[in-house]
Amino acid sequence: MVMSDMESAPAAPARIAGVDEKILAERAREAASTRRDVLFDVSRLTVSYADVPALKGVSLEIYKNFVTAFIGPSGCGKSTFIRCFNRMNDLIPSANVDGTILYHGIDLYGPEVDSVEVRKRIGMVFQKPNPFPKSIYDNVAFGPRVLGWKKDLDARVERALRHAALWDEVKNRLKASAYSLSGGQQQRLCIARCLAVEPDVLLMDEPASALDPISTTAIEDLMHELKREYTIVIVTHNMQQAARVADMTAFFSVEVDEEQDRRTGVLVEYDATPTIFTNPGDKRTEDYVTGRFG
Amino acid sequence: MRVTLQEELDQLEAALQEEGALVLRALRGCLNALEQSDVELADEVIAFDDEVDDAYLAIEEGIQSLLARQTPVAVDLRLVLAILHDNLHLERMADYCVTISKLTKLVQDVPHDQTLLEGFEEMGQRAEEMIRVALDSFRDRNAARAESLVDLDELIDRANRRVVGHVLSLGGDPALREWGLRMIIVSRCLERIGDHAVDIGEQTAYLVSGDFREFTDASHGPGTTPRDL
Repeated sequence: MVMSDMESAPAAPARIAGVDEKILAERAREAASTRRDVLFDVSRLTVSYADVPALKGVSLEIYKNFVTAFIGPSGCGKSTFIRCFNRMNDLIPSANVDGTILYHGIDLYGPEVDSVEVRKRIGMVFQKPNPFPKSIYDNVAFGPRVLGWKKDLDARVERALRHAALWDEVKNRLKASAYSLSGGQQQRLCIARCLAVEPDVLLMDEPASALDPISTTAIEDLMHELKREYTIVIVTHNMQQAARVADMTAFFSVEVDEEQDRRTGVLVEYDATPTIFTNPGDKRTEDYVTGRFG
Repeated sequence: MRVTLQEELDQLEAALQEEGALVLRALRGCLNALEQSDVELADEVIAFDDEVDDAYLAIEEGIQSLLARQTPVAVDLRLVLAILHDNLHLERMADYCVTISKLTKLVQDVPHDQTLLEGFEEMGQRAEEMIRVALDSFRDRNAARAESLVDLDELIDRANRRVVGHVLSLGGDPALREWGLRMIIVSRCLERIGDHAVDIGEQTAYLVSGDFREFTDASHGPGTTPRDL
């Protein structure tokens, strides 16, 4: 009798822990933040250079307001892949992209899509900071000026610099050359330059690999802040960086065809970051993240 | 291949097995002391706990250092976490051996009941077997064998449940009743050692599968009736 009573009894926590409105609100917020809204829907994507596939048959979804990391050994196609998201591969004449990438449900490679508009909405930050040989202010104002956004330019520049966590360090020397900044500051300036044109997505290709640990931490903290408003996709060689910053992690590897002497990148596994780093589903992922690769 | 990391993991795991061997010695010692009313041996078991504590601390420090420097992930991370738990379980087992030894000293001048003492020897042997199974299945990454600990634990639990009835049947002699009351705690200690062995088994299953689950659900399973406590 006792047993059946206990089994049908309501869960104990309501009586033991009580119901705290704050906790419920916090849970609702967490549930909302972990909701997955698909931003990019990639389907059977293959990228070839001069008809040689560099990356083959990739399908995955990138979620809105998530940080998504691509990791994998050199030559696995992760940089090739991230460049597909803002059509940077268009700039390489021999590159060919097969398959589809839907962005907000629209085919990014559709005939009516303007690649310049794509790059405005989907900004990119590269491995080495590449500020223009101009002042700090002019670097950030460059994009808005090109777009003809002349109104409230000062406020726009300030907002972008604040979002990039650089404002306090440069507010008194906006007219100084961008080259007077440290490497880490230059990288954050490049992020501010992206943000000034109000993008939707930030693509980052090894954004911290040329930076010292302090600047790296600053960039990582920034990613954490920025994902409230933007969707971030990052390529990194640093697995611990992926573990620290990413919500989702995709592991790419290389398939070697000895006969044709070809190396092709493939997506091995894509999952929530904690899963990739505690209990990956694929042996190749396990070998890579534990350092037993090769 | 991260040679240093692998070496450190191997060393931690070997240290855990050595700690397990120490616990087995402590258990055998306290059982012999109890059965033979050997107060000297009981004192030795109590003093011996320092060695188990040293082994525990060495593993704890090793894990702390490894986590700080090596950032293990995936199966390596699970192994470190499992060793962290198992280390504590073994240390607690040795503490129960100390409690049994102290109780042995407390009842040295009190009359004993031979039947119950023989029952403890049997419970103790089962506990020893459980520790061996827990350590071996961990070493062999054998989740099925680890789960077999549940059945072994049930045998100890049953013996433990019978002890109260037996103590009540000892009669009205106050000295014998005092002995009996203390022996209920001895029985409880042996039963708890079995529980810790099952917990080690659960860590083995976690290490192998990546998913932690309790072998038996203590909140909702058959263990919830007062009789089963």
